[in-house]
Amino acid sequence: MVMCLLCLLSAPSLVAARSYGLEATAVADGVWVVEGTTENFSPANGGNIVNTGFIETDAGVVVIDSGPSRRYGEALRALIARHSDQPVTHVLLTHHHPDHVFGNQAFPEHTLYMLPRGRELLARDGPAFAENMYRLVGDWMRGTELVVPPNTLSPGVLTVGTRRLRLMAFAGHTGSDLVVLDETSGVLFASDLVFYNRALTTPQTPGLARWAEELQQLRTLPFRVLVPGHGPVSDGDAALAQMADYLSWLDRALTQAARRGLSRSEVMQMAIPERFAAVAGRRYELIRTTTHLYPGYEKAALELLANPEATPGGQ
Amino acid sequence: MGRWIAVTLMLLTGLARAAALPDDPLRSPMWEYNLARYLGDEARVVIDDRVALKVPGFAEDSAQVPLTVDLSAFPGPIRQLVSWVDFNPVPLLFKLTPEAAQPRLIALNFRVQQATAVRVAVQADDGRWHIGSADVDAAGGGCTAPSMTAANPDWQTAFGTIRGGAFSPVPGHTRFKFHTLHPMDSGMVGNVPAFRIDDVRLHDLASDRLLLRMRLAESAAENPMFVFELAGERRAVRLWMRDNNGNLFERELALGEDG
Repeated sequence: MVMCLLCLLSAPSLVAARSYGLEATAVADGVWVVEGTTENFSPANGGNIVNTGFIETDAGVVVIDSGPSRRYGEALRALIARHSDQPVTHVLLTHHHPDHVFGNQAFPEHTLYMLPRGRELLARDGPAFAENMYRLVGDWMRGTELVVPPNTLSPGVLTVGTRRLRLMAFAGHTGSDLVVLDETSGVLFASDLVFYNRALTTPQTPGLARWAEELQQLRTLPFRVLVPGHGPVSDGDAALAQMADYLSWLDRALTQAARRGLSRSEVMQMAIPERFAAVAGRRYELIRTTTHLYPGYEKAALELLANPEATPGGQ
Repeated sequence: MGRWIAVTLMLLTGLARAAALPDDPLRSPMWEYNLARYLGDEARVVIDDRVALKVPGFAEDSAQVPLTVDLSAFPGPIRQLVSWVDFNPVPLLFKLTPEAAQPRLIALNFRVQQATAVRVAVQADDGRWHIGSADVDAAGGGCTAPSMTAANPDWQTAFGTIRGGAFSPVPGHTRFKFHTLHPMDSGMVGNVPAFRIDDVRLHDLASDRLLLRMRLAESAAENPMFVFELAGERRAVRLWMRDNNGNLFERELALGEDG
């Protein structure tokens, strides 16, 4: 009886022992990807729905994104130490979304870098994101605090040891999206400009047309392997092709729905083509995207109605 | 003794009343209370899938949750339609009365204060109420969040801007859509008095006959977007709206030749 009671009492310690179980997959010589699930944030996954990565050079390790929580960041740092003896010298934070930057505390502050606009956005939205993350994933976030990187990045080539990293500033996903091409290995860290087998998220996009245009620019880059922000690593063009297809379908579908006068709830329930069956979270994200973007499409499809009283000669 | 009889009678009436109501498919504690509150104590109520209430399962924006009532599968004319949000501080969303036209579809956005059941009750010609329900999950706060419109320093110049469109989704029916810039303050935000459109009417433009009337309550979202799909051919309508400060908004809208 006493034993049973002890068993019951010790049950909470199992919860406290939660761990992300991160694993690194080598995608090129000295380049690793840490792949998350394609789910939504939940207490079951602790926010590990994101891909992070790291690149070893002879002058230190360059990390791409720090993950959704302090606990994740610490696990990522330990994982890096198992693959490289080099110290982490740069953490390049691609954009200000919480799943990409809330592991910052695990790294020395002077190693944190971000595009200037992304940094501003993080300072502005970070506190609200943190609150929301605690609500969505719960105890995994324990001890997590917002750290705004002290260092800013400019587009161009960042040379670390013998590696040349081409840094590019885009805007399609959040208004400030860093893309990193490791010229040495041909690995492209596309971050959240590319979602693969996972529906894209749109709360801060400046517009789908802008995003589609930037995907065309990505297609011209000399890469061999593409690491999307969410979803599996893709050899060659597969991820970009799916992303461009999905994005242009979405833009067209919203445009046509607005021209037919559909209500927002009708758009949220509209058919999604069968060819996107592999895209996880597509219905959920369509509901969110309709909320974010459909009002703009509706506005464009409606005409400004003049007040008949104010019109000269009006009755 | 007399008191005991009264109590017993009350209990019996209460039981009899409860027995007459169907079980709530969503098991909300507000079910019976709100039915009595908005439909009356004597209302005859049935749950009816043909009253299609389309609401997303979660609110991405608690201040703008879309709702569509689709009556295309509902037989016969309706007398009136009432919609409410169970757990909102003021649950009522709107009451709609058809006059010279029967609605086939109505859409607008509402606010949610917390996860809740949403209802639409349609009164058929025989007086019976047909209920459609849906659940919406929400982080909340939609009713007590400051208006986005009023936060914009230029809102007064844009105030009352109305956009519209007329569509013909099904032959023989016409859909009218209107978007109005109005803060629709619910009166639940500190030091911001209620300032909202509460009366919406649609007239036939040629005959000026009243087609339908909608009374809006506190749960309606700011910058309202209305969709009214009417049975029968309607080439042109006049929208008439009034807010609680007495501002009048009138616009005319006609179905284009290509519509």
